[in-house]
Amino acid sequence: MDFIQEGFAQAYALLVRLDPATYSAIGTTLRASSLAMAASLLLGIPLGYVLGYFDFLLKKQVRIIVDTLLSLPTVFIGLVIYALLTRHGPLGEAGLLFTIPGIAIGQAILSLPIVIALTATAVEASDRNLHITLMSLGANRKQIAVSTLWEVRLGILAAAVTATGRVLTEVGISLMVGGNIKWHTRTITTAIALETSKGEFGMGIALGLVLLLIALTVNISLAGLRRRI
Amino acid sequence: MELYHIQNVDHYYGTKQVLSIDDVSIPEAAIIGLIGPNGSGKSTLLKLMGFLEEPTYGSIFFKGRKTGPFSSDTRFKVTLLPQEPYLMQRTVFENVAYGLKIRSDLKRLKSRVEDAMLQVGLAPESFARRRWSALSGGEAQRVALAARLLLKPEVLLLDEPTANVDTDSARLIRKASLKARDEWGTTLVVATHDWQWLFETCDSVLHLLHGRLFKGGLGCAVYGPWKFGWEGFLQKELEDGQVLVAPSPEEGKQVAILDPSRLKIVLLSKSPLLKWKIGSLNGFVTRLFLESNGQTVQTAIKIAELVVTIRIQREQVELLKLYPGKEVGIQYEPKEIEWL
Repeated sequence: MDFIQEGFAQAYALLVRLDPATYSAIGTTLRASSLAMAASLLLGIPLGYVLGYFDFLLKKQVRIIVDTLLSLPTVFIGLVIYALLTRHGPLGEAGLLFTIPGIAIGQAILSLPIVIALTATAVEASDRNLHITLMSLGANRKQIAVSTLWEVRLGILAAAVTATGRVLTEVGISLMVGGNIKWHTRTITTAIALETSKGEFGMGIALGLVLLLIALTVNISLAGLRRRI
Repeated sequence: MELYHIQNVDHYYGTKQVLSIDDVSIPEAAIIGLIGPNGSGKSTLLKLMGFLEEPTYGSIFFKGRKTGPFSSDTRFKVTLLPQEPYLMQRTVFENVAYGLKIRSDLKRLKSRVEDAMLQVGLAPESFARRRWSALSGGEAQRVALAARLLLKPEVLLLDEPTANVDTDSARLIRKASLKARDEWGTTLVVATHDWQWLFETCDSVLHLLHGRLFKGGLGCAVYGPWKFGWEGFLQKELEDGQVLVAPSPEEGKQVAILDPSRLKIVLLSKSPLLKWKIGSLNGFVTRLFLESNGQTVQTAIKIAELVVTIRIQREQVELLKLYPGKEVGIQYEPKEIEWL
């Protein structure tokens, strides 16, 4: 049990002493996840609105596919992105393999179904009189979309929190697409995996606690945002 | 001038037909009452008139032009206040101002919003910054109405505006709506069961039964089951054992309509054999309402589970000595009963 206590002590030491390798991993984690979340929210919120608001042919089937994608294994996404970005792959010339944007692409694919599914659910659950009210006050289609999304903003915030949690804690994509290159693409989760494989449990726990601290900070910020809106 | 012309409209939700209107016109600046039992299609008709939905078949003309949802001809001119208005999750001020904001019409916004709030009896200093969740049902209804009045609409469609509110809110809603008609010539179409709206305020009343307009006024719908009676007539046994007789309907028609203009009120004492006689029913007066013309009285008579509302002359009320609770007889001609 000593290694757990040791982990807490090391986590404190890493953060307070501004350990460069730890802060590099934190920076990489935050950069990749921010890029991924920005992309998935920009794409996912409009797509979730379309899925939740409109009735169209094969809507149920699309919904089932999106819900199924919620269970995508990260190593599978990592494998597919690796295959696409590798030098001989169809997108190899972009030079994104073993880069932070490369990791972000994979993480965006991971978080996109979460944002779409939860936004669609929030829109579907909105009051049926909302549409009548907006239309009868003269809103056009774009204004209806914006106002509806604003009305379900807490649901969208929940989608963002859930997706952020998934992106921050995944390891398969970061490892396969990022390559776990120290100072470049090593994220907190890949560092934990590495330290644990080396038998450095204390260091692994320390990094895990750092990750939890980041998640806590993100959630406290979002909770503050929720109260304000 | 004709404002609305609804022509051959059939509207379906899935495979269920909810509305079938052959031809009806509504003039400008009129106040039209819309009455009918739950599920008769009132809200659907209002949604079609508000251009929130496209009729499945048929056309709705607005000022002579065929119009549909999001049309520039009507988007800023027609507004509907639903029975359960939705207030957006913002302050009262933001809710009322929404319509002007989406029009980018921000000139004197604050004072215009405050004027609209005052029009429905909401003091801006106490209500403007209040959140949507801190309002009573009547206050929420008035906020929703203020949001619409602020737009000075050409048509204001009200779906049961006073059904779920207190008396004071109902009075304020009615007053504010009438002011819109008087000041801006707004046409009002009001779905309501409130007799004060219907018989004191409205220029005319449309009666919807089973999704169809009944042109004979406030017809009373009689639903089955029906039994076969004498000479091909059908019989409906009412809850108190009295029997209503009607001719056989055309195929597909299921609801018999007692046309009040063809009913006659008689005193029981003068017709001792009236009870159980074909073409007559017994009931009692439940309500008398003097119409705005001061000459005619709407008289509601309850016959078992049915309520018929008959318009009679004021003198007739005095002659028959009618009062709520008085037992009376109703005479009808079975052959004249129509089917929907």
